[in-house]
Amino acid sequence: MSRGEYLLEVRSEEIPARMLEPGVKELSTRVFEELMARGIAPSEVETGFTPRRLVLILAGLPEREADREEQVMGPPVRAAFGADGAPTQALLGFAKRTGLEPDQLARVTTDKGEYLAATKKIAGRATREVLAEIVPRILTGISWAKTMRWGSGEGPWVRPIHGIVSLLDGEVVPFDLFGITAGDMSFGHPTLSPTVFRVESVEDYRRHLAVRALEVSPAERRRVLQETMLARAEALGGRLVEDPALIEKLAAICEIPGVMEGKFGDAFLELPAEVLSTSLRDHQSALTVAAPNGDGRLLPYFLTVMDRPDDPAGRARSGNEWVVAARLADARFFYGEDRKTPLSERAEQLQRLNFHEKLGTYAVKTERIVALSAEICSQLGWGSVKPQAVDAARLLKVDLTTEMVKEFTSLQGIMGGIYAREDGAPEEVWQAIYDQYMPASADDRTPRGRAGQVVGLADRMDTLVGIFGLGMIPTGSKDPFGLRRAAQAVVRIALEGGLTIDLEAVAVKAASLYGDRLTRGAEQILEDLRPFLYDRVRYILGLAGYAYDEIEAALAAGVSNLPDLKARVDALHKVREEAAFLSVVLAAKRIANIVKDAAETPLDESLLVEPSEKELAEAFAGLRADIEKAAAAGDYERGLRRIADLAPVLDRFFVEVLVMAEDPNVRRNRIALLQAIGRAVSRTARLTEVVVDKAEARAKAG
Amino acid sequence: MQTFQELILKLSEFWAREGCVLQQPLDLEVGAGTMHPDTFLRVLGPEPWRVAYVQPSRRPADGRYGDNPFRLGKHHQFQVILKPSPLDVQRLYVRSLEAIGLDLTQHDLRFEEDNWEAPTLGAWGVGWQVMLDGMEITQFTYFQQAGGLELKPISAEITYGLERLTMFLSLSQSIYEIDWVEGIPYGQVRKQEEYELSRYYFEVADVTFLQSQFEGYEREAKRCLEAGLVLPAYECALKCSHSFNVLDARGAVSVTERVGLMKRVRDLAVGCAKAYVESREQQGFPLLQGEAREGIVTEVADVAR
Repeated sequence: MSRGEYLLEVRSEEIPARMLEPGVKELSTRVFEELMARGIAPSEVETGFTPRRLVLILAGLPEREADREEQVMGPPVRAAFGADGAPTQALLGFAKRTGLEPDQLARVTTDKGEYLAATKKIAGRATREVLAEIVPRILTGISWAKTMRWGSGEGPWVRPIHGIVSLLDGEVVPFDLFGITAGDMSFGHPTLSPTVFRVESVEDYRRHLAVRALEVSPAERRRVLQETMLARAEALGGRLVEDPALIEKLAAICEIPGVMEGKFGDAFLELPAEVLSTSLRDHQSALTVAAPNGDGRLLPYFLTVMDRPDDPAGRARSGNEWVVAARLADARFFYGEDRKTPLSERAEQLQRLNFHEKLGTYAVKTERIVALSAEICSQLGWGSVKPQAVDAARLLKVDLTTEMVKEFTSLQGIMGGIYAREDGAPEEVWQAIYDQYMPASADDRTPRGRAGQVVGLADRMDTLVGIFGLGMIPTGSKDPFGLRRAAQAVVRIALEGGLTIDLEAVAVKAASLYGDRLTRGAEQILEDLRPFLYDRVRYILGLAGYAYDEIEAALAAGVSNLPDLKARVDALHKVREEAAFLSVVLAAKRIANIVKDAAETPLDESLLVEPSEKELAEAFAGLRADIEKAAAAGDYERGLRRIADLAPVLDRFFVEVLVMAEDPNVRRNRIALLQAIGRAVSRTARLTEVVVDKAEARAKAG
Repeated sequence: MQTFQELILKLSEFWAREGCVLQQPLDLEVGAGTMHPDTFLRVLGPEPWRVAYVQPSRRPADGRYGDNPFRLGKHHQFQVILKPSPLDVQRLYVRSLEAIGLDLTQHDLRFEEDNWEAPTLGAWGVGWQVMLDGMEITQFTYFQQAGGLELKPISAEITYGLERLTMFLSLSQSIYEIDWVEGIPYGQVRKQEEYELSRYYFEVADVTFLQSQFEGYEREAKRCLEAGLVLPAYECALKCSHSFNVLDARGAVSVTERVGLMKRVRDLAVGCAKAYVESREQQGFPLLQGEAREGIVTEVADVAR
């Protein structure tokens, strides 16, 4: 019954949830690669894990490596035989070493002449032998995020190892690892089925797991948890507030995907839903249940995992409910304390809270954000937004002084918004405070209202300019102030909100608001900040599906505001594959080469000689106004199409006219014509940055 | 219903059977059982060691004037050290829970990653917080480094939070309601102390005096080290650490000062750790047995240097 099935189960003490998936992935990938390199790759690879087990199952393994032939080179033929044709000592020695008779040796021709060679047969090793050699080596070498030693110094590994099952078609593939010998014995759940069991095959292993309700597939545990929780929430008369990241974590901390359902006192529902769900998530790894009508209210229940199928005596439930009650009592205490003082009265406490030792307290940061928010509103012509943005800016950071935010830092901003709402602030204002840290990640949304966009921009530009102004530019993985995320948020807010604002002007204003706190001037800051912001622009537009060279071409033509930049990238993206446009791109590159060192000169029509240069000048004169009008109206696509209309005359010009004419005046005038065309076509995007596959361009143009 | 002292008795009995020295609390103010010399110093060097004890642990900043039902400025830890860590240490721990009366077939027991680090001791370890029905009841750590020294063999440290565990086992709503012994609640034994200590640490403690105490004990620790007296030096270092904690609770430590003061405590702890290993080496590592002795003596002395 040989099917080439290999089962590896490594049992250890609880491996941290975050390391399980990468660990088992590295194990399976490396085992597969090494087997493949030996020509004995399995046809199927299955992995699994629980906190206490790493599982690798291979199927369809060949029995052994193929036999190989290897040629061993011997002496050159001329040294192999004496003058009399008899074998020399060199030949006899070689034959003896390879175990062959002299007449069994082959003759091989190489660059250096004819040589004698022996063909050696190398028997392939049994897959069993190969596994016994590579598996312990690969297990030892897994690159865990953090390792430890134990006992008398065993390790390093992620946690102490307790047992290994290593079976190929029912027979043990033996090896030793950190003093543990691989065999065929496994172990059940540590409290519910704490006994050893013998494993005979992969099938037998699955049966043993099922009997003990152990599930080694994390995907299956996730599915069971998710579906059970959805059903429970519905049975409770609500719907589950879904949290895929938390479900994934819960699935990684159990071997049995049991769902623990608990209730908390109705009185706690007075707390804002955000506080309830954050406390339950952060402290208890629990999901919440929303009321069915969708108004954001919660029902007094929570759902989490227990590493057991059920809870007949209700001990897990009563314990969890006790802990949750204590946690929520804490949260209610903080909430009550915080509510005693309105945010506006707390603001002075910011004087004792440092933003950065050189950049001042949060009180002075607040003053800067207020001024910068006003400036941004003025630049955008958002006069009606200004009062709300300024009010939000004044209260923006005050929640840092609240007990709730000290306890749950992930609630910063959100708490400020909630407290402002309770204090009676208008919707635009409290939402602006609530949304200030959005977007916190790539899939997070940007602030809802205009005031929120303004303060979100002002706060982050203040931080960016301040830290850059101290010369602390993020490098590599070092970004302690989260400046990349801040810059990304700035770019997304400007792009998605359509904020036609000149960020450089905002940065200059931000720098001036710092007074003499900064060690660098605005120009110097911009030199570093500009490329830093453009890198985020490249990243975000790249994610949106624009090609690298389209973005570069638009950036190189200059940036006044980001929505305008995006419109130009988009126009380029739409026309770039058209044949006429491609030939203009090629022409633009030629023009750039020709004019690159030439001084600027005005065009003199009277010096135009050849018909095709007259034709080009005429065509350009006809289109110029249209091109510029389209660009000025922001209709970049039409502008680029008009430029493409020049293609035939430009092509003819380059075929028929020699720019580098003998007469210096004629030559200078031709360069002047090309300069004017180059300037006009590069206003939307510097066309020389566009990458063109030459063969493709010729095919399309032809 | 389990009383506070029954819990102590059962844990003591259990770990005594496992061959632990049943030690007594250190008679100085410390923040955790780890700082007891029978943990911090004994985990250093090659000698085997098993110890268990209760340690009253002071965290001045956690004091709540006896008002908060879940928080204390001084709580009690039950501390166990097993050196080297036996391969069945988790199983032993589970049995200790059964010994205090838990039927684990009815509960949910999980080990969640929680690594431990004590910068002022130059120490760190890898391990878990042990969750029973969603409640953290134990800190479980494999020490990797202490006093800035790599450890070999490795010690397993098991720290039970006694008040929380008693509360949890009886599902009490307040620490002060648990029974110390039947008929005498915890509050009767300790609540006034919590109130007075909170007032002292937050309102009354004299900052100048505490600062001079820090400086004085720091000097004294260095003098002791120079005199080759490791244990008194370490006690002085612990006094520094406690003075620092009180200053901190009193709000008298700025962010910049904080780093500097912590480093000074750490330097003392590191100095003591080195001196301790040297002192044990000079004594010939008396607890070390068997044939491997010679080799280990040299190897460990090298590590210590």
